[in-house]
Amino acid sequence: MARHDPLFPNAGTVARREYSERVRSRLYRISTIVLMALAVGVAMTPIVLRAFDQANVHRIRVVAQEDRLAQGIMATAEGVMNLPPPGVDRRRWKAPYEIVRETDRSYAMRELADGQIDAIIEVVRQPDGQLAVTYRTLGPADGVRSQLAGFAALSLGILDWTASLPKGSELGAFRTPSFTTESLVAPTEGGRQVDAVVVASRGFLGTVFIILMFITILIYGMWVATGVATEKSSRVMELMISAASPRQLLVGKVVGIGGAGLTQYVAIAVPVMLVLAFQDQIAGAILGAGQAGLPTGGLTIGLIAAYGVFFLLGFALFALIYAAVGSFVSRPDDLQTLSLPLSLIAMAGYLRPARVARGRRGDAGSDRLPGTAVQSVRDACPTHGQRRASAGGRSLGRDPARDDRGGGRRHGADLRDRRVAIRPATRVPPVHRRGAPSRLTPRPRPRAATG
Amino acid sequence: MTLEIDRVTKRFGRTVALDQLAFGVPEGMIFGFLGANGAGKTTTMRICLGILRADEGEVRWGGVPSTDLPRRTFGYLPEERGLYPRLTVIDQLVYFASLYGERPDQARADALGWLDRFRIPDLADRRAEELSKGNQQKVQFIAAILHAPDVLLMDEPFTGLDPVNLALLRDAFIELRDAGRTIVFSTHQMEIAEALCESLVIVDHGRIVAGGTLAELKRSSRARTVRLGIEGEIAPTWLGSIDGVAALRPGAGFAEIELMAGVEPRDILAATLERGALVSRFEVAEPSLEAIFVELVGRPSDDGEEAVDEEDAA
Repeated sequence: MARHDPLFPNAGTVARREYSERVRSRLYRISTIVLMALAVGVAMTPIVLRAFDQANVHRIRVVAQEDRLAQGIMATAEGVMNLPPPGVDRRRWKAPYEIVRETDRSYAMRELADGQIDAIIEVVRQPDGQLAVTYRTLGPADGVRSQLAGFAALSLGILDWTASLPKGSELGAFRTPSFTTESLVAPTEGGRQVDAVVVASRGFLGTVFIILMFITILIYGMWVATGVATEKSSRVMELMISAASPRQLLVGKVVGIGGAGLTQYVAIAVPVMLVLAFQDQIAGAILGAGQAGLPTGGLTIGLIAAYGVFFLLGFALFALIYAAVGSFVSRPDDLQTLSLPLSLIAMAGYLRPARVARGRRGDAGSDRLPGTAVQSVRDACPTHGQRRASAGGRSLGRDPARDDRGGGRRHGADLRDRRVAIRPATRVPPVHRRGAPSRLTPRPRPRAATG
Repeated sequence: MTLEIDRVTKRFGRTVALDQLAFGVPEGMIFGFLGANGAGKTTTMRICLGILRADEGEVRWGGVPSTDLPRRTFGYLPEERGLYPRLTVIDQLVYFASLYGERPDQARADALGWLDRFRIPDLADRRAEELSKGNQQKVQFIAAILHAPDVLLMDEPFTGLDPVNLALLRDAFIELRDAGRTIVFSTHQMEIAEALCESLVIVDHGRIVAGGTLAELKRSSRARTVRLGIEGEIAPTWLGSIDGVAALRPGAGFAEIELMAGVEPRDILAATLERGALVSRFEVAEPSLEAIFVELVGRPSDDGEEAVDEEDAA
């Protein structure tokens, strides 16, 4: 057609009308409020979970044949794990861990299997005198807890060693216990291992965002389809099509409804950001003074902005598809018939990233979307194998350097069985003994190792 | 300037909706576009607007093909009325006018003026779904003319209006014509066409069966009407049984008789007198537009159910 129909100003006029019609509708307002509440709830989840966590007492059983080892691990674990946070009234504070010795190993195992207790720390002296400490838990792979157990094990190792020294003897070489975290899922980021909590948090966050995007795109897409179908059924289309070109109408409609969607998104995102910005204060109010809000790992401004970009692109794609479908039917009712195949298209788009974000067993290199945080993190470290890090005080902390070997981790592990083994018998000094002195002064205090 | 429909052909599948349709409408004229349902009236208007594309031929205004003209050249009142149900009357009027490039404040002022003229100023802030059908139609009419188009295409503008509103709309037509607008309208109401049109065409199955000024059309018609009054009889229905009578309509104190082709009025008079009736009035009348329509199309104007529905065919 030779008629010259520039996109503007008509597309803008259409977009303005579409926008104000959506924003004024009651459905829109209600859904905004509901989604806002949901999103704030999600943002508060880590704090709320910790509130529950705090109320819970984790029962840990210690299994060891030698009394001395049992006493030692109980004492060290108590010292490391039941450490009240600074600034908390010690009299009102309740220890989060109940650490008790259990002499019957099989009974303890049964209890763990039944969920009566949360974890077992087992200390076994092997024939060559090496101590093997195993931390068994039914709960989720809790990096913090197993690390605490690791600290306790280390301290026990040092205690055991110092106790075995003959009185007044010259000090032999202190052999740093090896500390192995054996996890078959060990995502790393830039060569640095990522804490399981952060990984879980990111997975959760990714799922939430994908679902949010899926739902909103589907809803707003349906608005577009219904809008087109309604204009056809109410016969406004006949007047519209003589007043404006189809391109102007389509662009205006998609932009207007997309704008309404974006407004809703901003209305949802702003309170969430506020919660995140003031999470320390909120955590302090809910959990008691001095508690910092556990960050929802990975929920950053960048992620929210990226979500905005993906929403716009995804919405533009689906809105155009939905508009095309809406133009095929002559009544909005007929859309019901077509909405199923449409949802299937959206579903296909939803399932892939959802799968990636959730993580999968196995190691198939295919079927991955690039750019998804967890997945690309895994892909970055293709080598497999066990790794040892030195158990020096600093390296047991969150020292990024300790994982710089490019962690060889296999994917898809069952996170329940994390083993922490301490092997003082290793003769060869570990390669990774950064900052850990090879010789210690006499009578090292165990606490010092926890740094 | 002339609106030229130049040998336009449009097919929907195997159905020929318009077959070499050609006529012209001079500027500043109220032009009747008559035809049975499915004759191709709406299709023609849609082609004028560029909503549909002609398979052959083209529509020109002032020599320029209609598809090259700015959209605001035309104002359109669709047969299927359509307004945004949730939008207020004034908002939609301003909206439609802005799509045609009117300034919103100007459009608002004009719209309020027209609402006032149509005696519905209080409806400006009501939502369209709350309006009666007649009022919706008036709003729809304002939407079609607010951007001051040169050519107005009105598809059945008078259907469903009560006599008062009908008179309002008729006055508006004449006022627009006097302001230099060219108005093409289709209708089934022959009295209105007779009262408003200077020129008209009658289409049937996508072809023009008659056209010209009203006077020309009446002169060329073979249809004859005789008005016959009989003393002492208010409704002389027996006149219908006389040979050569095509149709009989009761009038006020007389009967209107449509004659069959080839029958002369005097034959009827003779037959009436032969039966012994006291004839008090005998008059050979100009044929009504309706009579011409029936003669040409072969069926009454609103009997077109078997005709092809354009949209279904599309």
